[in-house]
Amino acid sequence: MRKQVFDICIVGSGAGGGTLAAHLAQRGVNVAIVEGGPTVNTRTDFNTHALPFNFPNRHIPTMKPGKTGMGSERARGVGGKTMLWNAVALRLSHRDFKGYTIDGAGADWPIDYPDMAPYYDRIEREVGVCGNRDGLEDLPDGIYNDPPPLKLGDLLLQRGAKELGIPIIQTRKATLTRATQTRPACHYCGNCMAGCDVAAKYNSADVHLNPAMKTGKLTVFPDSVVREVIISKENRATGVHYLHRVTGKQGEVHARCVAVACACSQSVGLLLMSVSSRYPQGLANSSGQLGRNFIPHFTSGVDGFLTGLIGRTVVNDEGYIDHAYLPSYMHAQKRDYARSFGVQIYTGIRRTTGWARQLPGFGAAYKQHVKERFPAYINFQCFGEMIPNSQSYIELDKTKKDEFGLYQVNAVAVQQENERKIYEAMNNASVAILEKAGGEVLSVSKFEEPTLNHYLGGCRMGSDPRTSVVDAHCRTHDVPNLYVVDGSVFPSSSEKNPTLTIMALAARTADHIGDRFKQGDI
Amino acid sequence: MQTRREALKIIGAVGVTCAFPFSANELYGQHVHDHGALQEAQTSTPKFFNLAQLLIISRLSDLIIPPTDTPGAAAAGVPAYIDLVVNEDPALQATFREGLPRLDTISASKFNGAAFLQLTEPQQIEILTTLNEAPGQDGAFFHALKNLTADGYYTSRIGLMQELGYNGDAVLAAFPQSTIPEH
Repeated sequence: MRKQVFDICIVGSGAGGGTLAAHLAQRGVNVAIVEGGPTVNTRTDFNTHALPFNFPNRHIPTMKPGKTGMGSERARGVGGKTMLWNAVALRLSHRDFKGYTIDGAGADWPIDYPDMAPYYDRIEREVGVCGNRDGLEDLPDGIYNDPPPLKLGDLLLQRGAKELGIPIIQTRKATLTRATQTRPACHYCGNCMAGCDVAAKYNSADVHLNPAMKTGKLTVFPDSVVREVIISKENRATGVHYLHRVTGKQGEVHARCVAVACACSQSVGLLLMSVSSRYPQGLANSSGQLGRNFIPHFTSGVDGFLTGLIGRTVVNDEGYIDHAYLPSYMHAQKRDYARSFGVQIYTGIRRTTGWARQLPGFGAAYKQHVKERFPAYINFQCFGEMIPNSQSYIELDKTKKDEFGLYQVNAVAVQQENERKIYEAMNNASVAILEKAGGEVLSVSKFEEPTLNHYLGGCRMGSDPRTSVVDAHCRTHDVPNLYVVDGSVFPSSSEKNPTLTIMALAARTADHIGDRFKQGDI
Repeated sequence: MQTRREALKIIGAVGVTCAFPFSANELYGQHVHDHGALQEAQTSTPKFFNLAQLLIISRLSDLIIPPTDTPGAAAAGVPAYIDLVVNEDPALQATFREGLPRLDTISASKFNGAAFLQLTEPQQIEILTTLNEAPGQDGAFFHALKNLTADGYYTSRIGLMQELGYNGDAVLAAFPQSTIPEH
């Protein structure tokens, strides 16, 4: 039997892989997706509507009994992290793409906002994003459905922030607020991050992969953990080598072009594992930059209570979790650091009661104290942009193997002085807003106990092959038919949630790859 | 940009006409909010504490979150929760192994040799008040106990829904509009 050769083999099925696959399939390209995890069904497999008391230890497992998936870094499931994301969908701005030119810190992208704008448009139309056109310089407007209203707590914080000259807007999410032909509107149950069981919230499987499979142009290989990208003597990627997640059986998928899209650190890990005589330090790593420039978001948090809401009747306003957002406004301010931060504002969040233990005392008075503050609890989740440094990187830990016998991937991020200044600035802004709005601060996170989110960097995009791994079309400098399409290519992280940009980059890369196929270039 | 009133009209209209258009749709057809159907966590036989210890823990948890117009910690199943968590945490095991006997030692020295469970409620509260402010291991024991009691109570059905009045995790046709109340 002649072996099957796909036009493209995409490793990973999340925001990057899913978008790339759907856009290429639409253009008639024959696509294979190789995904480490199992097929998951967002309608039936997740514990979406469970509450803590359904479980003796009060921890809600992600999956329902008997369902597998989302249990491993290397093998989440078809749809990847989009199955469980919070759907915040923000465009990067010119200031984000050209941070080095503007601030003298970080790195410029080889592309700018006008290169990306049409792809942001296309993705927003495709997946359905809600938000307002706020006219902010640092957060470009897109094509939006109307967002759900702000909660009462948001309005109080917004009023306080306004007195300080700080904007708070309605956040922008890839969640439908009006039904389409195939997806219903959000029903505001507040379980977004446990998996939206109606797919009102975008996920790659329902919105991109399933429709693409119906075209006959997409084949998905689930449960197939890729261990190596195969390279020919002619320096072309020819496919991937995988292990079956359950049986351990080995297999290969062959293609004329390969795209690695398995989420930042795992993409870097896969390339580092793909060693050969030509690439002894990892595939596409002739620059030595693979795994360098790891720039995850660092996050901080401020918890407290809004005085105006203490003792109020509890209403069901969990909504789609965070409705309000503090966009970057720092560029207009005098400040002693480079780059910026943004804050997701959580009010009306009532399944988180861990704060109760922090209130003083015990007995009936304590119980009353907790009850009164339950409607008033608020939380600021702040995201800062990290400047790349030599101590922050992704590498293989050759002393540790995972359940598949593959090297564990370690991601190390060390925050430095600029990060400390941003950290303090974002916590201070949150505290100031809460105080201005009339509130009590319960706790403020500490820089010495850093938390990370949104892994980015490691396969930096750039025009110079000596200092970057991929070019402006996400194509590796070293191998002309090998692409990396996920957050690892970000040269700078911005403070904004990256998923919309990953999808827009994937759509742009799909255009580029589709054109190359059309021209007979691959 | 739309005004808030216009936005409300549109979202409201969507809520009325479009929120459930897919009764037979594959996406919405299976959409059942099924948390009620899940088994309530059952109280099982104790894993770490013996019955005498559980009686003390039960009393302590009710002193921290007492029955008022709603049930207290013991009725909400907090002792079983504490047993489960401590059973899986060696550091907490040490804290409780030392802390529980200390209660009787303190009781005996303060109240003529009486065990903690023999004290009156005001006497028991007096001891906990001292522990709450105590440095070192006594304070650490009390705070471990309080943290577990708060965690267990406010994640129980009684604590979350009856006491706090949580009423979310439901289907809303439209998200409610809020306005800041005039003072």
